[in-house]
Amino acid sequence: MKQIACAVIVSTLLASAAAVAQQARPTTGDRPDLSGTWAIFPGVNASSALRREAAGTEETRRLDRTGIRGAVGQGRGALPWTAAPSYKPEFQAKVQDLDARQSKTDPVFYCGKPGVPRVGPPRRIIQLPNEVVFFYEDMSGDPYRIIPTDGRPHRASANPSSYGDAVGRWDGNTLVIDVRNFVDDTWFGEKGYFHTDAMRVTERLWRDGDNLVWQATVDDPNVLTAPWTMAPRMVRRSTQALEESPPCRETDGPLLRNDDHHDQR
Amino acid sequence: MRSLLWAVLALAAASAQPVAGHHSISAVFEADKLVSVTGTLTKVDWINPHIVIFVDVKTGSAVANWKVAGAPPAWWRNVGVNRADFAESLAQQVTVEVNPAQDGSPYGYLRKIRFANGESLEATSTQ
Repeated sequence: MKQIACAVIVSTLLASAAAVAQQARPTTGDRPDLSGTWAIFPGVNASSALRREAAGTEETRRLDRTGIRGAVGQGRGALPWTAAPSYKPEFQAKVQDLDARQSKTDPVFYCGKPGVPRVGPPRRIIQLPNEVVFFYEDMSGDPYRIIPTDGRPHRASANPSSYGDAVGRWDGNTLVIDVRNFVDDTWFGEKGYFHTDAMRVTERLWRDGDNLVWQATVDDPNVLTAPWTMAPRMVRRSTQALEESPPCRETDGPLLRNDDHHDQR
Repeated sequence: MRSLLWAVLALAAASAQPVAGHHSISAVFEADKLVSVTGTLTKVDWINPHIVIFVDVKTGSAVANWKVAGAPPAWWRNVGVNRADFAESLAQQVTVEVNPAQDGSPYGYLRKIRFANGESLEATSTQ
């Protein structure tokens, strides 16, 4: 009798422990798990390397281009995409002008927030049953986004922002995020892609093997002739922990002698 | 077929984009000119969009405080260099090779730095 009682107690304890473990480890149900740290380093020049000489030895470290903004154009299951958005005829000259003078006109150039979708895929994702949390490293600061996936509607009273108001849902194995309620002072691409506060962005994230793929569609009926789906970016896993971005202080503006520039992100 | 062609063209265009964090070197500095400056490292600012170090250069009794901008912090991080690699040489002699500012001020863009212990770091183009 005593043995039976012990067995019951032990099995009860084991069941309780299993239940606690289950609660402690968030499940994602039958959804693919997007959680992880991903290799994205915006603002880094890929076409360069560091040569280090010390004590008669020489070492060269090259950057992996795919670690910069991801492998652009790769990712199985991507939507059809085009290289550039189609602006209404009356806005094409403005876009070209902003692009040509981006070292003077791009808010990101002067440490401004890139916003969605320009911030790109997240550096870290924590996926929970009813929400996903995105973390980014960005020289304008290190934004985060908490995106509900429990079917709730957009917030009615949120202020417009650079990263907008997002709600997510699962479409098969793809996380689809609808983002709206933007301010109008970000660009959605480095080539002068301005927008209005009517912009809506749809981000899609899914797994391709052990990689993460991110693709965004931008719609702004005020300035675009049609929604623009940009190239997907496939990013690999990273073992490099997130680090607080150093403060951003751009002081070269007054020294610019011409409009020469690189793209940023 | 046309969409495939567009996809290939777009991929080529996207892949060709340089991804730096800034204006071109040639917008502020003399990209084709290198100047070597030796002096005392006085300050290391690990900031975006470019790290900035300061070097006091003595010429006779005059001291010029050179400001030297370098690659973004994320670049250094991804080639395994931290602020400490510079900061441990504070108050010591360093020699920097820079693209000098077009306006003639004591300001340059860092290409190479040699520390007092003989070690050096050089940002090179590989393409």
